[in-house]
Amino acid sequence: MNYSELTRSYFETAAHAGELSGPGVFRGAAGNHAQGTWVQFDLQINAGAVAAVKFLAFACPHTIAVAAWLAEQAVGQQLQPTLPESLPALRDRFAVPIEKMGRLLIIEDAWLAAVLPAIDSRA
Amino acid sequence: MAVYLDHASSTPVDARVAARMAEVLRSETEYGNPASASHGYGDTAAALVESARAQVAAAVGAASTEIVWTSGATEANNLAIFGVAQYYRERGRHIVTARTEHKAVLDPCRELERRGWEISYLVPDREGLLDPSQVAAALRPDTVLVSLMHVNNEIGVVQNIAAVGAVCARHGRAWLHVDAAQSVGKCPVHFASLGADLMSLSAHKVYGPKGVGALAISQRGDASGRGRVQLTALHFGGGQERSLRAGTLATHQVVGMGLAFELASKISSVETARIAQLQQRLWQGLASLGGVLRNGSATRSVPHLLNVSFEGVEGESLLAAIRPYVAVSTGSACTSAVAEPSYVLRALGRSERLSESSLRFGLGRTTTVEDIDTAIATLSREVSRLRKVSGAAPAA
Repeated sequence: MNYSELTRSYFETAAHAGELSGPGVFRGAAGNHAQGTWVQFDLQINAGAVAAVKFLAFACPHTIAVAAWLAEQAVGQQLQPTLPESLPALRDRFAVPIEKMGRLLIIEDAWLAAVLPAIDSRA
Repeated sequence: MAVYLDHASSTPVDARVAARMAEVLRSETEYGNPASASHGYGDTAAALVESARAQVAAAVGAASTEIVWTSGATEANNLAIFGVAQYYRERGRHIVTARTEHKAVLDPCRELERRGWEISYLVPDREGLLDPSQVAAALRPDTVLVSLMHVNNEIGVVQNIAAVGAVCARHGRAWLHVDAAQSVGKCPVHFASLGADLMSLSAHKVYGPKGVGALAISQRGDASGRGRVQLTALHFGGGQERSLRAGTLATHQVVGMGLAFELASKISSVETARIAQLQQRLWQGLASLGGVLRNGSATRSVPHLLNVSFEGVEGESLLAAIRPYVAVSTGSACTSAVAEPSYVLRALGRSERLSESSLRFGLGRTTTVEDIDTAIATLSREVSRLRKVSGAAPAA
């Protein structure tokens, strides 16, 4: 399979891969290894904004690249109950094949699983 | 360019083979139609074809008259399977094969199933090996063909074809077809001694050109009194190749295959030992990563193939990560955007995930120690990186 330059770049670098721990860290995960795609996000929240993000992904290059990009983009943004960018926009940005849209949904599920408790904790 | 470790998919054309083929293509006397008996140009081309036929036959322990040219092993497999099925359709419509066969055998069998034949798919043990007793147990009075490969194209295990041949001979009604595309030049291949009635051969796996192969068709009778195997042709239109495969022969292609097979038959034990040492070096280097599983028997296999699965790594990412550096085949069929796990490894009992995260390394004449070390270094780096990304190993 061929990948776009952006996809290959984020896949190869995979910056922000890892885990966070401690107070103010919210973790969300989705998918599973047995089905071939699993993604986890750790968000460090400070005063309603995203201070740091780490991710782990047992997944294809597209999924790793999108997760790495989201982790990079989210830092400094205010908490929102959505992805920093819509799924169609992510699909276009990373030239994700239509057959892999389910994997973007797993990313979204993992992201929201981390973000929503963080938002709830402020309510 | 990436280091080439995919010789089981295809091999570079031997320089001597390419030179000889070019000679034929450039010749002012060798371009005639080998089937044209009315002039010397045809005679010259026919002589080249027959010389190549003798070379191929000698390399595999067959008689020249047993070799029928095809476009490759896939066509040879189709001719063997459909040819026997059609010819003996009144005698029986049952065929025995294995789940781990190449698609070029499984797909014709599935097509025959759609047409009303029954196929028994044998399941190998966890090392990929079949016991000849499995074949014996699967044979029925209406069985007309057993089709098994000699050397498995994904895991390199060598089946005990001679024993299967004996089983078929005792049965007395089932012919034995052997896909030997991966065997020639890697392990001894002797058509008669294997007890095979039909054997598929390919040039491009043996440092010959793509687009040419052969089917060896036994002219031996046997003690059971069943006579010689007969085939119904699939192509019609000129009566070439004893009316079994119509079409003008590509003289330069068959000349290339003939020379490639002659060269392959002269491969020394020193070269085989060199390949075995390289394979061992590769396996030890990869195994040192931990979480690396070898697929297929380590003892009953050719040294040219090594198939391994990597735990904690997603298959598509693994292949994408190493692609710029090492050219190998994956355990997944990446014919679509979403890969499917290898059915061969699944038949051995590997999980879907481990089947997808497997790589097949194909070593060959051009493989060097430096190539192997590059592969080990690349896999070490990328597997470690991907395991950190997946959480299977501690992040740095």
